[in-house]
Amino acid sequence: MIKEFIQGLSITFKHLLPGHSTTVQYPKVKLQPSDRFRGLHRLVPSHDRAKCVACYLCPTVCPAKCITVESAENEKGEKYPRVYQIDLLRCIFCGYCVEACPVEAIEMTGNYELANYHRDDFVFDKQRLLNTK
Amino acid sequence: MVNLTIDGTQVTVPKSFTIYQAAEQIGIKIPVLCYAKKLLPFGACRVCLVEVEQMKGRLIPSCTTPVTEGMVVTTSSDEILKVRKTVLEFLLVNHVIECPVCDKGGECELQDLTYELEVVTNRFVGEKFDHPTDESNPFIERNMNRCVLCGRCVRVCDEIVSYGSYSFVERGFETKIATAFDRGLDCEFCGQCVSMCPVGALLPRPFKFKARPWQLKHVDSVCGYCGNGCTVTFGVKDNQVQTIRFNDKNGVNDGNLCIRGRFGYSYVNSDQRLTRPLVRKNGELVEADWEEALTAVAEGMNRGKGTGIISGARLSNEEFLLLKEVAAAAGTTNLDHSGGECYKGLTEGVQQVLGLSASTGTFPQVEDADVILSIRSDFYETHPVFGMVVNQAVKRAGAKLLVVSDKKGKFTKLPNAETLLGKPGTEVNILNAICAVLLESGKAVTEGVAGLDELKQSLTDYAPARVAEQTGVSVEAIEAAAEQLAAAEKGAILLGYGLSYTANSRELGIAAANLALLSGLADQDEAGLYVCGEKANSQGAIDLGILPGESGLGVQAMLDAAARGSLGALYIVGEDPLTSFPDGAKVEAALKGAEFVVVQDLFLSPTAQAADVVLPAASFAEKDGTFTNAERRIQRLRAGIKSPGEALTDFAIFASLLEKLGAAASAATPGETFAGLGRLNDAYAGIDLNAIGPQGVVWGGEHLQPKVRNLVPVSGREPLTTRYQLITGSALYHSGTTTTHAKGPLEAVPEPYVELSREDAAELQLAEGDQLRIKGNGAEIRLKAKIGARLPKGVLFAPNHFPGTGLNRLYKGEAAVVVELNK
Repeated sequence: MIKEFIQGLSITFKHLLPGHSTTVQYPKVKLQPSDRFRGLHRLVPSHDRAKCVACYLCPTVCPAKCITVESAENEKGEKYPRVYQIDLLRCIFCGYCVEACPVEAIEMTGNYELANYHRDDFVFDKQRLLNTK
Repeated sequence: MVNLTIDGTQVTVPKSFTIYQAAEQIGIKIPVLCYAKKLLPFGACRVCLVEVEQMKGRLIPSCTTPVTEGMVVTTSSDEILKVRKTVLEFLLVNHVIECPVCDKGGECELQDLTYELEVVTNRFVGEKFDHPTDESNPFIERNMNRCVLCGRCVRVCDEIVSYGSYSFVERGFETKIATAFDRGLDCEFCGQCVSMCPVGALLPRPFKFKARPWQLKHVDSVCGYCGNGCTVTFGVKDNQVQTIRFNDKNGVNDGNLCIRGRFGYSYVNSDQRLTRPLVRKNGELVEADWEEALTAVAEGMNRGKGTGIISGARLSNEEFLLLKEVAAAAGTTNLDHSGGECYKGLTEGVQQVLGLSASTGTFPQVEDADVILSIRSDFYETHPVFGMVVNQAVKRAGAKLLVVSDKKGKFTKLPNAETLLGKPGTEVNILNAICAVLLESGKAVTEGVAGLDELKQSLTDYAPARVAEQTGVSVEAIEAAAEQLAAAEKGAILLGYGLSYTANSRELGIAAANLALLSGLADQDEAGLYVCGEKANSQGAIDLGILPGESGLGVQAMLDAAARGSLGALYIVGEDPLTSFPDGAKVEAALKGAEFVVVQDLFLSPTAQAADVVLPAASFAEKDGTFTNAERRIQRLRAGIKSPGEALTDFAIFASLLEKLGAAASAATPGETFAGLGRLNDAYAGIDLNAIGPQGVVWGGEHLQPKVRNLVPVSGREPLTTRYQLITGSALYHSGTTTTHAKGPLEAVPEPYVELSREDAAELQLAEGDQLRIKGNGAEIRLKAKIGARLPKGVLFAPNHFPGTGLNRLYKGEAAVVVELNK
C-alpha cells in the first residue's frame, strides 16, 4: 500500500519541478489564442469607410441584443451605418453577428483583455471597433 | 360553378375563377410574382406553372388559365419545381443581388421565392443590369436594375389609378419599364406602384434606409385626411410613423391610397407640433401647464356672454360625444362643425327628398356600376381612392361616366367619360334639366313619389334648351345623360363636398336626390346616391349631430355674433377657420370680437396665434377611437405612437375640461364611450366596438332604402357673365390645411397658386410661374400662375389649403367670385 502511495505522490512532486508547470504567468506571459477564438469585434474598413452596409442583420440575429445600428445615406447615395455600437457588457461572444454579415464587415479578433473601469468604457462605438487590431 | 381537382382535392368554384384562385380557395399556395389580387391576370413571370392532366405535354400558368369542368391539376411535382427553379435562375441572371442595402430585403417576393426553392447557384451567367436610378421626384425611387418585369406597376397605374405612367419599352433582354420618353417619373404620386412592386425596384424615398421591414411595428388605423376613410397600416419604429405599409387585407380600399395617405403622414412627426399648452399673458402666448390652461378655459367659458364651439371634422366619434358633453356642461347650444358650412347643407337637402343624411351604398358597389354621374370633376381630388373605384368601373366594367363640372379633371379624361362642362355654380341647373328631360320623355320613375306636380311646375324654367344656353352644355349632352341614367341598372351619383364649396350645398343635395329618385337610382338594391364629406369624420359629425342645438347658433351665426361682441368665448377645435373658412375677414373680426378664444390644434395655426389659450392636441396616429367614412363605414383608429411633449388627445382634453366645468365625462376611455354613441344616433346603437373588424361596420347595412320619396323643387342660379371668375376647391395633393405641414404633399405642391387656361394666359401675356394680381370682393391678392388645359376660358381656380394667401378675403362662400386680373 505504501508503495502505491509513494508512486502517486512522485507524480505530484514531478509536476512541482521547474519546467513542468502548466500555469502561465499572466500578464508577464500572454498566450496566443487560436485563429478561431471569439474575442473583441472588429469592423473591417474598406477604402475610406467601414465595409458595413447597415443591413441590420447583426442586430437582428444577436441573441443578447447588444448591437445598435442606425443606417443613413451618404453623399454617394450609399447606405452606411451612421451609428454602430456594441455593448460588450451584454455581448455573449457567440459570433452570430460574424456569421450573419453578408459583406464580411465584422470579424472577431483574438483580443480578450476587455476589463475596464467604467461601464461606459464597455460600449464600443464605430470608431473604436474600426480601430480594433 | 365548375368542379375540378387540385392536388387530389375536389373543389367547386365559379367559372370565372382561374386555377390559381381555385387553389387559393382550398389553401394551396402557388408561388407567383406577377399576379396581384386586384389586377387583371397577366402571366408574365411563369413562376405559377402547374400541370393539368388534360393539357399534358406542357406546363400551364395557373394565374391566367380559367378553370374548366373536370380539370385535374397538380401544383407541385419534381418537374414543376425544376421549372420554377429555372425560371428564378433566369430572373436572377440580370438581377443585381444587393439585398443587404435594398429596403425591400426581408419582404421581397423574389428573395422569399429564391429562399423557398433553394436557388443557391445559377447555371447561367450574364451581365447584370446597369440602369441609372430614377430619383427625379421626392417620393418614388425607381431602380430598374432590380426589376423582374412583372408589370404590376404598369397595370396598377393603368387599371386602377388610370394615370398610365409606365410602360414596357425595348424588346428581349433589353426590356425595361420606363416612363414617357424615359424622362423619369412625374405623376400624381399615389404610390400604388410602390405598394405593388414585388421587389425593390420601386421604393418610397421618404422611407429610404430608415428601417428594415421586420423592425417595424404594424398598427392598423384609418387615414385622417378625407372622408374616403382608407385604412392605413403604420410602420412604427422609435415612436415615429416611419412609413405607411401596404395592406390590402383591411378596409375597402384594397390597399389603394393617394399621395396624402401614403406620403402625407409626416406631419405627425413634425417638430413644429405644439407640445405644451399656451396661455396669453401680457399679449404674448407663453407656455403653461395643463392645470393653468384648462382653468383659464373653464373660466373663459363661464364668463356669462355665452360660448360658441366650432369643431373640425377630424375628431373621432367618441371625441364628438364628449364635445357634446362639454357643450352641455358649458350650458351652450352654439355647437357646430366645419361641415356645418357645406356638408350639412348637402345632407339636409338629401334628407328632405329621401329621408336620409348619408350615402345609400358602399364604395365597392360602384366597381361594377354601369352608369356613374360625378357632380364636379373635383371628386377625384377630394376623394381620390373612391375615384380609383370609379376608374375601375369605367376601365374594367365599361361603365359610362358622366361628369357635371365647371372644369376638366382626371375624370373627364377617362374613356367613356362624357363631360357636361357648365359655367361655375350652375350644377343645379344642369341636374334640373336632366330631371326635366326624364319627366318629359316619360322615362322617369314616378311611382310612389310625392311632389311630382310641383317639381314639374318648377322645371319649366329648366328646359334643356334654356339651360344649354345658360350653362354652355349642349342639349344633346343633357338628353343623352338623362337617357343613360334612366337606362342604368346599377347607377351611382357621386357628390363630394368640402369647405371650398359652400354655395348651393343644400340646393345641390336636393337636385341630386331628385335626380336619384326620378332615374330610379335611389331604389336600386345597390349603389345609388353617394354624398361624401370632405374630412375623415364628416359623416360622423352629421350622424352624431355636432350641429347647433335648440336656439343655438351655427358656424356663420357664431362668427357674426362674436364679431358683434355678443358672444363671450369661442372654442375652436381642430380647425383653422382663418385659413380654411370662406370670408376670412369675418373670421378675423370674430376672433377679435370674442372676449376669449381657445384653439385646440396640432400646430400654431394662424387661428391659434390669435387665441387666448392654445391647447396642444394629438394627431390621428396617436389616438384610439372610430371614424365614420362617407359610405357610413365605422372603422377603428388605433394609436401607433405617443404624442409629443405634453400634447393630449382631444378625448383626454375634453374629459379634463369637463371636470373643470364641474361635470364628468360619461365614460373614461374611447372604448367605453363607443357604447354611448347609440344615445345620439339609433344607427350606432347595438354596434359592438369589438365586432368592428378589419372591414369596419357599415351602419344601416350595405344599402339604405329611401325613407321618403318627396320631390322638392329647387332653383339653380344664373351664371356670372363677367370676363373672369374665380373658383376655389381642393387640390389632389392636399386635404384641408393639415397637409401644408406634411412633407410629402408639400414637396408635390409646395405653394399656393392660381390655375388658368392657356387662352387667358396668352391674353394676359402671362407665363407659368408669373405673379398674378387678383382683385375681387374689395380685396386684392397675388398668386403664382399655373397654366393648364383644365379650365375653360374666363375661369380661374385656386386651391384653398394654404395659410397666408388671403384667398378667403376674396372668396366669401359664393359659387364663383367675380375678379379682375392684373399682371
